[in-house]
Amino acid sequence: MLGIGLLCSASWLQAQDLTEKISLKADGRTSLAELLRRIDEQTRYSFSFLKEDFSTIKAATFECREEKLESVLQALQKQYRFEYSVSGNLILFRMAAPQTRKPAPAGYLYGRVTDEKSGESLIGAVVQIDKQSVQTDMDGNFAISLPEGTYTAVLRNMGYAESKIQQVSISGGDSTRMNVTLSRSANDLDEVVVTALGIKREEKALGYSVTQLNNEDVTDAMSNNWTNTMEGRVAGLNMLKSNGGPAGSNAIILRGENSLSGNSQALIVVDGVVISGSSGQLSGNGSGAYLDGDSPIDFGTSLNDINPDDIETVSVLKGPGASALYGARGANGAIVITTKSGKKQKGLGVTFNSNTTFESIIRWPDFQYEYGQGVDGSDTWYSYGQTIDGASTRSTSSAWGPKFEGQSYFQYNPLTRTGDTVRTPWVPYKNNRKDFFQTARTFTNTLTLEGGSDKTTARLSYTNLNNRWIVPNTGYARNTVALALDQHVTSRLKISTHINYTNKSSDNLPTTGYNNQSIMYFIRGLVPNANLEWFKDYWVPGQEQILQTRPFSSLLDNPYLIAYEMLNKVNRNNVIGNITASYQFTKELSLMARTTLDWASEARSQQRPFSSQKFAAGMYRTQNIFTQELNYDFLLNYRKVFRKDFALNASFGGSRMHNRYISDEMRADRLLYPGVYNFANSKDLVVALPYRSQYAVNSLYGTLSLSFKDYLFLDITGRNDWTSTLATPESYGHSSFFYPSVNLSAIVSDMLPLPQWVSYWKLRGSWAQVGSGGTTPYLTAYAYSPTAFPSGLANPQAIANSDLRPLITTSYEAGTDLRLFHNRIGVDVALYLNNTRNQIISVPVDRAAGYNATILNAGLVRNKGLEIEAYLKPVVSRKRDGFNWRTFGTYSVNQNRVVTLAEGVSNYIMSSGPAGRGTIEARPGGTMGDLYGIGYQRSPDGKIVYDESGYPLWTDSSIYIGNTTPKWRASWGNELTCKNFRFSFLFDGQFGGIGYSLTHSVLAEEGKLTKTLPGRYNGITGEGVIRNDDGSYRVNDVIATDIQAYYKAHFDRTNIESNTFSTDYIKLREARIDYTVKSSRLKAMGLKNLVVGIYGRDLLMFTDWPAYDPQFGTLGDGQIYKGFEIGQFPSTRSYGFNLKVEF
Amino acid sequence: MMNNRILIPILSLILFLASCRKDFQEINTNPNASVAATPEALLTPALYSVVNSNLNRAMRLNNVLMQDHVPLSNNNDIGRYLIRPSESDYMWNNWYLQLNNFRDMYVKAGVVNDTTLMGVALICDVWLSSQITDMFGDVPYFEAAKGREGIYEPAFDRQQDIYADLFAKLETANRFLALNKTLSSEKKAADPLYQGDPALWRKFGNSLYLRLLLRVSGKSELNVAAEIRRIAETEAADYPVMTSDAESAVLRFSTTPPYISEFYNYRDYDFNGAVSLSEFFVNNLNYWKDPRISAWATEASLGVYMGVPSGYAEGQVPEQMSTYLAALKNEPRMGNIMNYAELQFILAEASLRGMISAAAQGFYEEGVAHAITFWGKTMPENYLASDGIAWNEGATAEQKMELIHLQKYYALFFTDFQQWSEYRRTGHPRLPQGAGVQNNGQMPSRFKYPVYVQSVNSAHYNAAVSNMGGDDINVKVWWNKP
Repeated sequence: MLGIGLLCSASWLQAQDLTEKISLKADGRTSLAELLRRIDEQTRYSFSFLKEDFSTIKAATFECREEKLESVLQALQKQYRFEYSVSGNLILFRMAAPQTRKPAPAGYLYGRVTDEKSGESLIGAVVQIDKQSVQTDMDGNFAISLPEGTYTAVLRNMGYAESKIQQVSISGGDSTRMNVTLSRSANDLDEVVVTALGIKREEKALGYSVTQLNNEDVTDAMSNNWTNTMEGRVAGLNMLKSNGGPAGSNAIILRGENSLSGNSQALIVVDGVVISGSSGQLSGNGSGAYLDGDSPIDFGTSLNDINPDDIETVSVLKGPGASALYGARGANGAIVITTKSGKKQKGLGVTFNSNTTFESIIRWPDFQYEYGQGVDGSDTWYSYGQTIDGASTRSTSSAWGPKFEGQSYFQYNPLTRTGDTVRTPWVPYKNNRKDFFQTARTFTNTLTLEGGSDKTTARLSYTNLNNRWIVPNTGYARNTVALALDQHVTSRLKISTHINYTNKSSDNLPTTGYNNQSIMYFIRGLVPNANLEWFKDYWVPGQEQILQTRPFSSLLDNPYLIAYEMLNKVNRNNVIGNITASYQFTKELSLMARTTLDWASEARSQQRPFSSQKFAAGMYRTQNIFTQELNYDFLLNYRKVFRKDFALNASFGGSRMHNRYISDEMRADRLLYPGVYNFANSKDLVVALPYRSQYAVNSLYGTLSLSFKDYLFLDITGRNDWTSTLATPESYGHSSFFYPSVNLSAIVSDMLPLPQWVSYWKLRGSWAQVGSGGTTPYLTAYAYSPTAFPSGLANPQAIANSDLRPLITTSYEAGTDLRLFHNRIGVDVALYLNNTRNQIISVPVDRAAGYNATILNAGLVRNKGLEIEAYLKPVVSRKRDGFNWRTFGTYSVNQNRVVTLAEGVSNYIMSSGPAGRGTIEARPGGTMGDLYGIGYQRSPDGKIVYDESGYPLWTDSSIYIGNTTPKWRASWGNELTCKNFRFSFLFDGQFGGIGYSLTHSVLAEEGKLTKTLPGRYNGITGEGVIRNDDGSYRVNDVIATDIQAYYKAHFDRTNIESNTFSTDYIKLREARIDYTVKSSRLKAMGLKNLVVGIYGRDLLMFTDWPAYDPQFGTLGDGQIYKGFEIGQFPSTRSYGFNLKVEF
Repeated sequence: MMNNRILIPILSLILFLASCRKDFQEINTNPNASVAATPEALLTPALYSVVNSNLNRAMRLNNVLMQDHVPLSNNNDIGRYLIRPSESDYMWNNWYLQLNNFRDMYVKAGVVNDTTLMGVALICDVWLSSQITDMFGDVPYFEAAKGREGIYEPAFDRQQDIYADLFAKLETANRFLALNKTLSSEKKAADPLYQGDPALWRKFGNSLYLRLLLRVSGKSELNVAAEIRRIAETEAADYPVMTSDAESAVLRFSTTPPYISEFYNYRDYDFNGAVSLSEFFVNNLNYWKDPRISAWATEASLGVYMGVPSGYAEGQVPEQMSTYLAALKNEPRMGNIMNYAELQFILAEASLRGMISAAAQGFYEEGVAHAITFWGKTMPENYLASDGIAWNEGATAEQKMELIHLQKYYALFFTDFQQWSEYRRTGHPRLPQGAGVQNNGQMPSRFKYPVYVQSVNSAHYNAAVSNMGGDDINVKVWWNKP
């Protein structure tokens, strides 16, 4: 832990060349100590002297201009009898002879502070001894003058364990050398977290809540999208998942939604590069999820593509208090990702990390296989095509037909591809849906090379990921190269760079949503008596590329045709990188200048063959998407420890950000020749849909951090932004705005004498504002929209506003962190209140004004909530390899309130369900995820009202159905270690929200769920009442005879209420067992470290959700919408094997 | 000095950051949109938008109310005369957005003093405004489409005042178009209806004038009879009207995007899969052996066209019989705005009611013939003499009205809400009623205002409702009031 080298009697060296130029003017009233301090300030050296000796001497008048330090010191030496010596950057002074007043003779303590592991010098470490404290310089050196005696020295450095050195004896007139090595802090108390702008801070100094994850958290149970691993580990984090296939995107929302315009996602920052506004943005293909012209495809974002093996830490800055320095885009909190750097070590470090993951479907709707194809009334016969048995019942997708009772009918013959001439047994194919899917597998292999010297460290990693997904012929490949280089050019100048290059490509990503060409549309349309084998040969023989095999409903494209011919390709190149130079002017003052780039270029294409339902003559479309965000910034930092317990850290910085987006889409929606996918083969004029946008933000910002005695911390920040989105073509508008924040933290356990069992108690509070001009450009000037027609223009649907102002989020946060019994128990509680006002929204107006909406600043949305993160260590072994058990949990609850909207606007539709059925609205007094839609008519006592024929009645207009945002979330995790084994598992759950399920609706409408079995062919009397003519109600006493109409009247997709279910779930999110091979054995194998592990994700799911997974989002036109599940894919459980070898 | 080494670069950076918002104005200028628009640029998109949204709503509302077809979904209550308030938004919203384009076109044409385009813009304005007021009654008109001037809550105007202004606009348009200012070939290409021919637009405008005059002919306030006589007879030379099928106002769809019909991208199933033509619609055509049926309907079984009853009782969903021919999805004639046959039926009724002197029979028979030829079919021999079609001079006025309007009903096939408006005005053609019909068997007289208007334009909404005597589907609009 602590290495002390006490070397006594270091020899005094002769003064060496001190060439720095000094200017000084003393008027005779200052002390010699003050004079030396002023010289000290002008040099890179640290002066050290015993204050008592030097401050009693009044200095005479003294003046010099641009003279060498050496001659200045020599001139002073002539007047005063002192000696000095130089050691590195340290100059030690002592009086040459005793003064008249006889003080204790002075001694000196000096030395160097280094990192225990790497041996690197630690700059700015604080050495406290006998009421004095000094900081180490750029080379880690320090020196203090002290009266003779024995002392205790305390050494502190951020991120390192505090170390106390007892019995440091100083003898008068002598110097004592003390070299100290500090070790990285082992306990959580001195944890260093990465805060806004990548500034590393001690957790205890922060006035706001930050959750930091480390590499193990994101790699223990690998997911294709590493952001999944944050679930259950961060209180207050809500993940909205597109479930859109192997590249599935997630939207991350911290502390509830606040943006009426829809984007409440957290800012994502990788090594100082903001990626959420550029390559991290989900961009759609213009299609909605429900029966649109085409269907959305999840092409993923660069956030998904970050290689988890390269991640060192992930800091989750939840509120504006934490992210205020990120400015405009930090209002929704930030996820700050730091990738690994190289480490100084002997020789080359080689690590190989291999993951193999398999995924299989975890859960299915409750399908019925008792009745076959047919509509109501065709339960007595089945006939594929018109036969002597009766009219054809082959084309419906409904399953209200005859029961499977061993009888035989004329059915489809896969050889002749038409009706059979003989009757064949009427049997269900119970695995016809399941058999379509395959086990997914993902191989991820990472090779890392790293090493370094005193001056240079480097890390290079290469990762290859290869995925095959559950839908046949889908998957993707990803190659990532990450480079981190740090070079100390001189002792003052450091240059470093982190660059991540990713190539992701896929020959086919699955089409999502509910539409003819989506797999899940087929799966719900498949009838129980259809054999999946009949679809496998998907072209009609002799008509390849012209006519597909489609035995049943013509609405259902053959799933193998979808998988093998309707291809969605993507090839994406992405560079995220930064180049940073930092210069240490003095030990207090440093400057960092950086340029960051997030650049992505993506080529996508979609092709559809002839004979597909939506594109009978084929289709070929391409999109070329270019995104770029360029950022330059600088940060000037001044830190100073005052001798009497005060420390100051001030930063001042500025940045210029420029974001560009270009999308060029080409469409050929009919082709001439089948099977040829290029634009030369277009039947019509190729349609081009270009789009460009850009915006820029200039910023200046500053922070002032003050600390007292290392237990009281105050941070003040301020930032001014100039945002192009608020400028107009004529003026700057309101593009300049300022916002401040104040954070306070107190370590009560250090301030007050508390019982021993209180290990740590911190109180914190924060008030912050964040302004934003939004990231949507072009809202300030009126312009005519292009139309599909050549030389055709149209008035815009929203009226531009040249007087647009920034929105302001004001946040209040208070919290405490309490740890007891030697840190065996810890609880962190955060309470917050966020008000977001003046949102930039399209406020709907009476369309009679000629417009849908006008762009206004309006609305006030309030989020308040509570977050708890806690841990307990029930068993802590004293032995090195003993049994240890750590258990932890999170709980978060958020309450959202729409306080006001714009004047006269009583509801604001945020999104709507399939073909406008049901809406998610913000209404004053309501909350942002409120779902409205058609529901049942109910009697005063809440019973469903049926009509005189026995069918349920619906309301005429939308009613409130419920709220789609879960009220609270919780998680519980455990880690057990014993000897070389480690076992961990994590549960999480969400509660109190509801969601609409189209999958449930369409399956129930078509009689494919077991819940539609009761009443078949005898009729059914629904539970509820009938309204009598006199207005009273009687218990429903009518048998509804049309069973299909009965269930359709209940579960028609228009009936939002009956298709809405609780989205509560509990999932066994992760489990892992790993084994680390003992080091003694490793040596024999020539290895440094060897870990093998098996892990699983989403292993168990407990829920009442009727479809696949209650945790869903729906992809539509570049956004992930919540509340409406529209044709979701089955969700999977994954399990895998991990091997990590360090050479 | 060290201080300068630090300060100079930092100060210059600050100055750079503070000053370099100079480019903000350029950065925030939209490269995807145009700051200016020529008047003719606004015409084609707006026309397509209106005609296509009308087709969409004809399919959902007009054709169900008027028994062209019957939805086979038990939950569709429109055929039972129950209309949910939410049905109103689509038309209100789409129509007013496009009204904005037509009115903007007029202003922009005025700037360059292009009288032809001014006339075109006025006719389009009148055509669209009449649809809005016919559906809802009192609606924002004079202050409508002025959001850009900051009028977000336009006042509602009385229908009577609106109609007076519509006629004034048609007079102006007739004068402008009489100047016969020819357009450049570029501008001609921007007109999908008449390729910029002022004479044809003028004929359409005046034919529309007659449609609208007849619409309000039940009211004495506007001296309609005299006006119809003036236009159709006494000053006919100054008011040329359509003279042939070819001069009909039809937005002829092609199969080349974007010049496609609303239904072009529909799946067959969505177009005709869940509906069946009605008995009323099919039986008349069957009875007349009308050739148009093969252009409109599928066969229920080999060579047989059959319909299903409209307004069936709840739960008694009929089996699908004949339905719309899938070819109608991209049929150019579906873009009908106003055809020559309709004009003939207007004149026939005007004659029947003594507003003009020429005999009704001639107009009627011309209308019948051209309603068929419009669809590219040949009128069968003796068709005009056949039962149910032949004009009987001795019949009662009521019988003649039925004769005219039954034929007019087919001439207005898929023409916005014209079938319904004519039915509301005249009660013709006489429609059968199914057992499931609600609303006391009363055809809805108007649509309710969209619900959201109550909150975003509440004061004017309330004033309009009190002026109209309620916001209900059974409140009659001004021209329909007795």
